[in-house]
Amino acid sequence: MSSGTNVWLGTSTKQLIQSRTGYRRRKFTNRIMLTVTALFTLAALAILFWIIIYVVIKGLQYLNLDFFIHLPRPLGMPGGGVLNAIEGTIILTILASLFAVIPGILAAYYVAYNPNTPLGIAVRFGTDVLSGVPSIIIGLFCYALIVKYQGHYSALAGSIALAIIMLPTIIRTTEEMIKLVPHSLREGSLALGSPEWKTAVSVSLPAASQGIITGILLGIARASGETAPLLFTALGNDNYEVGKIIKAGLANHKGIFAILGSIVTQPVDSLPLTLWKYAQQPYPERINQSWAAALVLLIFVLSLNIFTRIWVQVRANRMQGK
Amino acid sequence: MFTNMETPMTDEKQRAPLTIPIKIAQKTIEPPHVGENKIEFRDYSFYYGKFKALGNISLQIPPNQITAIIGPSGCGKSTLLRSINRMNDLVPNVRTEGQIILSGEDIIGPSADVVDVRRRVGMVFQRPNPFPKSIYDNVAYGPRLYGISHRQGLDEIVYNALRQAALWDEVKDKLRQSAMALSGGQQQRLCIARALAVEPEVILMDEPASALDPVATLKIEELMQTLKESYTIIIVTHNMQQAARVSDFTAFMMIDSPQTRTGVMVEYGPTTQIFTNPKNKQTEDYITGRFG
Repeated sequence: MSSGTNVWLGTSTKQLIQSRTGYRRRKFTNRIMLTVTALFTLAALAILFWIIIYVVIKGLQYLNLDFFIHLPRPLGMPGGGVLNAIEGTIILTILASLFAVIPGILAAYYVAYNPNTPLGIAVRFGTDVLSGVPSIIIGLFCYALIVKYQGHYSALAGSIALAIIMLPTIIRTTEEMIKLVPHSLREGSLALGSPEWKTAVSVSLPAASQGIITGILLGIARASGETAPLLFTALGNDNYEVGKIIKAGLANHKGIFAILGSIVTQPVDSLPLTLWKYAQQPYPERINQSWAAALVLLIFVLSLNIFTRIWVQVRANRMQGK
Repeated sequence: MFTNMETPMTDEKQRAPLTIPIKIAQKTIEPPHVGENKIEFRDYSFYYGKFKALGNISLQIPPNQITAIIGPSGCGKSTLLRSINRMNDLVPNVRTEGQIILSGEDIIGPSADVVDVRRRVGMVFQRPNPFPKSIYDNVAYGPRLYGISHRQGLDEIVYNALRQAALWDEVKDKLRQSAMALSGGQQQRLCIARALAVEPEVILMDEPASALDPVATLKIEELMQTLKESYTIIIVTHNMQQAARVSDFTAFMMIDSPQTRTGVMVEYGPTTQIFTNPKNKQTEDYITGRFG
């Protein structure tokens, strides 16, 4: 390059750009920064794997079939499991999803298409605030609202607390996903004379379904790991066994709704709750079971996450006709 | 009817109206009279809130012809087009004045049924927008909406629509596959088939080929020539060669002034006349590329 024309560049700048030392220094800085960012990325990943490996090492040795199929035994008796907690977690998760999914999707649909109305703004702001509310406060709220009213702890109260925790995740993810559906798709349906609700049910929501299901599963993954709200609501129940409740119900000739009712109106246990209770006890066998419960919970949440991501990818590919 | 395209026939059809306008085109917007009008705008104005987007449009669109709406960006071409199937209803705070008459019925008055209007006036959009469903379900979407559920009837409708859209041969073996796997041009023809499946009277096309390559564009244009035997077609296009190639009539729109930015109809007439012998200076400037 001729230097004579670049009179507006100060000599020092020009020299810096053209000199080899300047180039070396920049190359060196670049390498340093790249290394630093890579190291911190590794550090973040390392913590994740550390947790997983540690829990696997601690928990795997105490994991056996009994752990999954038996109720807790009294202290001093060997064996026993956490069947009550596993069943409780499943019941709580199913109920919470029932309560949170439909309202969440409907609210998200409204917000996605009415983002600037007063209600739309309020809902978006509200969900942001709600997702930041400490979960124990939600537990306390459900205690005051349901447990005090009912007079006892119950799976119902616990699942409503979890539903409130899931709701922001579902609303925000679903809203984002509906917004990603091309506007022209909705117009295409409306232009054929389709009413709005039909367009939502058969075009907009199916087109966003992968994202919506991701949001729901992530919400479930989050809620199923919660402990604090359950302390006030589900409480825990060492004798909870769905099989027994159903048998007893059938023996007494109760209807299906009565049986379902007695399943959801009892206090229940959940894995995080059991983990928390057992880990504070001074007995080694309880602590060991607590590690095993931690492992089961971790596997449940991780596999839910990983399964979701794989499934979404597969569906996306199929949708693109691959 | 669509397999053997006869080019001389279309030439004739394009040339035929040439003799009519010269006699009547002394006033700026004298409507061409070819049979009865399919669509008639009567002093139609359109407002987005306080902004008057279309001002006092009067326009008579003949049946079984292709009418092109051209004009610079932002002059209200799409708004005019979307008025015909009431797609503008989706925008909040809009207001209209005047009338749009479709086959003798006012379609923007309080008595008009939006769903019925949209069934009778199909629309094809700028970018192909097939639903993320199978090819079959895309075409069957409209008929199902109107309550046709038995298999044989649907099969027949899907077959006919795809035949008419000149897509059948390409997709007959993969009707159950996702429509998203088709090429852009095939997707656009699928969207045309989807519109045809509800047996509309009018097809609106909003720059239907702007997202397509030249070969796919040509196919769409050929298709339009066969479709106009059964349908009235109105196309908005930025591409003046396309307007000249495909349309029988051309409407030229512009904004009235940079301050108000209201879209007005400047000149309307047979395409050959608009492109060879425009009556209006602005039309001439536009089509010769002096602005826009």
